[in-house]
Amino acid sequence: MDELPAMRDPKSALACAAAALVLCLSTAFDSRAATVDDGTWTMPARDYASTRFSPLTQLDTRNVAKLQVEFTFSTGVNRGQEAAPIVVDDTMYLVTPFPNRVYALDLTQPGAPVKWTFDPKVAPAAQGVACCDVVNRGAAYADGRIFFTTLDGQALALDAVSGAEQWRVKLANYNVGETITMAPLVVKGKVLVGNAGGELGVRGWLAALDADSGRLAWKAYSTGPDRDVLIGAAFKPFYPTERGKDLGQTTWPPGAWQTGGGTVWGWISYDPVLDLIFYGTGNPGPWNAEMRPGDNKWSSGMFARDPDDGQARWAYQFSPHDLFDYDAINESVLLDLPWGGSGGMRKVLVRPERNGFVYVMDRATGEVLAADPFVPVNSITHIDLATGRAEYNPAKRPTTGRTTREICPAAPGAKDWNPAAYSKRTGLLYIPHNNLCMDWSPTEVSYIAGTPYVGVDTKFYAGPGGHRGLFTAWDPLRRRVAWQVKEDLPVWSGALVTAGDLVFYGTMDGWFKALDARDGKLLWQFKTDSGIIGQPVSYRGPDGRQYVAILSGVGGWSGAIVVANLDARDETAGGGFANALKDLKQRTTAGGTLYVFALPAR
Amino acid sequence: MSSRCLRASVGATVVAALLACGVAGCDRERREYRAAPAAPGSERPRLTDLQPGGTLAQAPSATGARYEGNAYHINQGSRWFRSFNCNGCHGNGGGSMGPALMDDQWRYGGTIDQIHATILDGRPNGMPSWRGKLTDQQAWELAAYVRALSGNVSKAAAPSRREGMAATPPLTRIKPQPPQSSDPSAQNPPPP
Amino acid sequence: MNTPARLRAWLFTGAVLALAACDGPQSALLPRAEQAEAIDRVWRVMLWTCTALYIVVLLALAYAMLRRRADRRREGIASDPLLRKTLAAWVVVIVAFLTAFVALSYAEDRRIRGGEPDLEVRITAKQWWWQVEYLDADPSRQFTTANELHLPRDRTARIELRAGDVIHSYWVPALGGKEDLIPGRTNAVWVTPRENGTWRGQCAEFCGLQHAHMALDVFVHDVGFFERWRDTQLYPARLPETATARRGKAVFEQHACATCHTVRGTTAGGRLGPDLTHFASRRHLAAGLLPVESPHLLAWIEDPQRLKPGAQMPAVPLAPQDLLAVNEYLLGLR
Repeated sequence: MDELPAMRDPKSALACAAAALVLCLSTAFDSRAATVDDGTWTMPARDYASTRFSPLTQLDTRNVAKLQVEFTFSTGVNRGQEAAPIVVDDTMYLVTPFPNRVYALDLTQPGAPVKWTFDPKVAPAAQGVACCDVVNRGAAYADGRIFFTTLDGQALALDAVSGAEQWRVKLANYNVGETITMAPLVVKGKVLVGNAGGELGVRGWLAALDADSGRLAWKAYSTGPDRDVLIGAAFKPFYPTERGKDLGQTTWPPGAWQTGGGTVWGWISYDPVLDLIFYGTGNPGPWNAEMRPGDNKWSSGMFARDPDDGQARWAYQFSPHDLFDYDAINESVLLDLPWGGSGGMRKVLVRPERNGFVYVMDRATGEVLAADPFVPVNSITHIDLATGRAEYNPAKRPTTGRTTREICPAAPGAKDWNPAAYSKRTGLLYIPHNNLCMDWSPTEVSYIAGTPYVGVDTKFYAGPGGHRGLFTAWDPLRRRVAWQVKEDLPVWSGALVTAGDLVFYGTMDGWFKALDARDGKLLWQFKTDSGIIGQPVSYRGPDGRQYVAILSGVGGWSGAIVVANLDARDETAGGGFANALKDLKQRTTAGGTLYVFALPAR
Repeated sequence: MSSRCLRASVGATVVAALLACGVAGCDRERREYRAAPAAPGSERPRLTDLQPGGTLAQAPSATGARYEGNAYHINQGSRWFRSFNCNGCHGNGGGSMGPALMDDQWRYGGTIDQIHATILDGRPNGMPSWRGKLTDQQAWELAAYVRALSGNVSKAAAPSRREGMAATPPLTRIKPQPPQSSDPSAQNPPPP
Repeated sequence: MNTPARLRAWLFTGAVLALAACDGPQSALLPRAEQAEAIDRVWRVMLWTCTALYIVVLLALAYAMLRRRADRRREGIASDPLLRKTLAAWVVVIVAFLTAFVALSYAEDRRIRGGEPDLEVRITAKQWWWQVEYLDADPSRQFTTANELHLPRDRTARIELRAGDVIHSYWVPALGGKEDLIPGRTNAVWVTPRENGTWRGQCAEFCGLQHAHMALDVFVHDVGFFERWRDTQLYPARLPETATARRGKAVFEQHACATCHTVRGTTAGGRLGPDLTHFASRRHLAAGLLPVESPHLLAWIEDPQRLKPGAQMPAVPLAPQDLLAVNEYLLGLR
């Protein structure tokens, strides 16, 4: 009955054509785009290159001021909402934090009613070993199935149409502190899932499950002997320090690799041309670095692996012998950049790291091409590009029983898990991140399975300038900040950039903002009911309009002071975060609501 | 005669055996009309003050009071609090993965008997059960220290110095915060 | 017995007792390491110099007393120029000797604290035992033991000293001087042992109830023997061989033992108590309290508070057969 507005409205049709053109151009640039339909959003990062770039152009810098709420939906869970909504086949799929219910919303109906609900029946005891709130970072869609993980360590596949369970696999054991919070990634018929629990002395791994059956195809540990890490003949790391036999075992005190962390709870990218997956590993355990001398491979580093058999191709450690909980689980944004001025394109990956540096690496070899600080950093003096090693500042090296002060960036890093976005149109990487420093006081700690294995008292506070957050547009070619927005609170939400040159992100006090991608000018903002730590997405609805969706609901490590009702008289509460966000309880309350925005229908 | 006699005796034996079997079948299960009385003082601390027909008073245990008033035990509790990684979840009382212990909100009760029970029994939303992993005395000492975190032990017994980073005011200067029964965040997330 | 005879008997007994303290595994008068020898040299120089000076003082005193008696006419000492000069000279001599002593001890102190070590050990003192970590540039060759320090002869070890709770003091008299272990600080001593043998150290700063039961066994071996010892210590714990010991391992891992103790190669990873990976290879348990032998160990596990009241190890309620099983398991951890 209703014609698609795009057909009715010549301007919209033009915009669509422009979008198609952009898409063509970008695929010419970049053959890695996984989603064929530009209106869907099938995985949290939208594409295998992890760009979070929406090719839709209906919304642009001129009309964004008219953006308004189209519908909302309560997830029924008042904990940190870190998930990205997934949109495919006119249906939106949401995973809530624990108890990890899945909702399918019918976008063809007014108000998007619930199509089906799935409750995986998650063990409540798992909440006790979830380090940083009971979050979940989203589902993934592939071949008619929805894949997601649960806090108590399961991976599930549901039929996308009916919501019927197709398989479920128990992967992690919460009795030893393992949980799963990450969003799976589906590559070549394999579901990739890793564990969390780096604060509980677990041993990190990434598992590949057969998408049809859930059967384990391979499992690659982040620590231990080469046969466990899946390091074989194909392993050709760029730097000599990464070469040697069983380094995941010999760079630890005897046996310590078994409780050494290196969990895989962040983002995975995939390059179909090189046929490699890229992902990072979490912090080594315990935080007290004196208890684990050595490089502690392969924690706080990254791997490039063959998705078929899991064999490692190369590896690199961003923070060898990590001193400050600098997990390296952040996203690898796969780009083809004209690097080095020779005119040719180079296949690189760009990573805004927790240790405060933006890395540009050759993704075929693992060579670090550039590493530049994007916040004030004093814990690491520089990254030696000849050896690839991060050089620690000896003045900030902590010892057991002493408090080292003014360490920047703090443990949540210059940027934590919340992913950046990259626009091919502006050539900028949009990084939502923190500006925090900390005091750090290591103590000796016992390993007791299923309890925290940390051994540090720490407290965070605002970094230079007094603002606790930043939203930075980084130019990876010129290796400098293009523009920057200071935010009072840490920016704990993901970023989204569209072909209409808009950047979206949310703040921890609940503002959802749209900025001009070229200069960072604030064009539109909307106050949601709770702080935003989710991942914004954009899709084309069945009516042809462009929508922007975000989950609002404060929580996560940073928001635990609100949802877990922490007491900030203890400066070390919340792993040190409560001290930095003493005012958050006054500025927002817990929530769990989906907001979907669009331009008014005519 | 003898064969009849034999037959009769065989028959009698069979009948007797059947009877015996039948009688054995009549032995029904034992009904215990009076259970063995519980040992005095073994009453478990209640987790709620909601009781049908009004609340019965539950006196605090003498054991708990003894630990709560003893500086050595409270200090030992502070040692266990760090050694058994309690601080990993509860910080230095402000909470992190687990709830804060220095405020007046108690999901499972804030008397020393209730805290002792919580430590040993565990609680369903993430508190592990430490039964068998530490001794009963250590659990009492921990419970006494947890009470000290919210200023609910005598100032004379509270430790004036603490290990590690000085993250909170000294425990001798924490304003006493008597336990409140319910914690709004305990309803969060909803029970599955 | 008349009075002089009794006095002689007392003097004799006293001398025997005093001299007895000059020998044995815990004597500062029989230096067995380069640093202890250096301290001993300084000490002897000071002792003999001071003795000589003391004798001079005594002689002067005797002379003064005699002279005073002989010459009663002299009034006042201030008017005697010779005496004034002698006193002035005496002050100069004393100051010179003191300055020399300070210089000597300063120089020796600097000399014995330094040098390129062949071995690094970190000792963390806790109430009331010693945690001993062997450090190495290769992290996979690092391990932790307790209450025992093994050193190679003629090699210099740098011993890093830390405290886990309160102030303690490290003192192995045969191998060198005292050094305090202070929470939040890192101190160090250097030891170059010169003789194989077994020595004894002791906490030398009052650190609480069981301060007296905080001893450290020190073993000095040939380099080859030391390296073999070290390689053995690097292995994870032996797997139990008998059914009882296997049961003991299970009890150890599942009960309160594992909350406080580490046995490498098992799930037990506690750091509150000593690392027990190679427990049975040690000479003593509970920091020199008792030899590692079955009845002692059994009694210790059953109720540590009876043997070392106030120690951090509680009596863990275990069924008798579990107790025996744990005992057997621990005695197999060589």
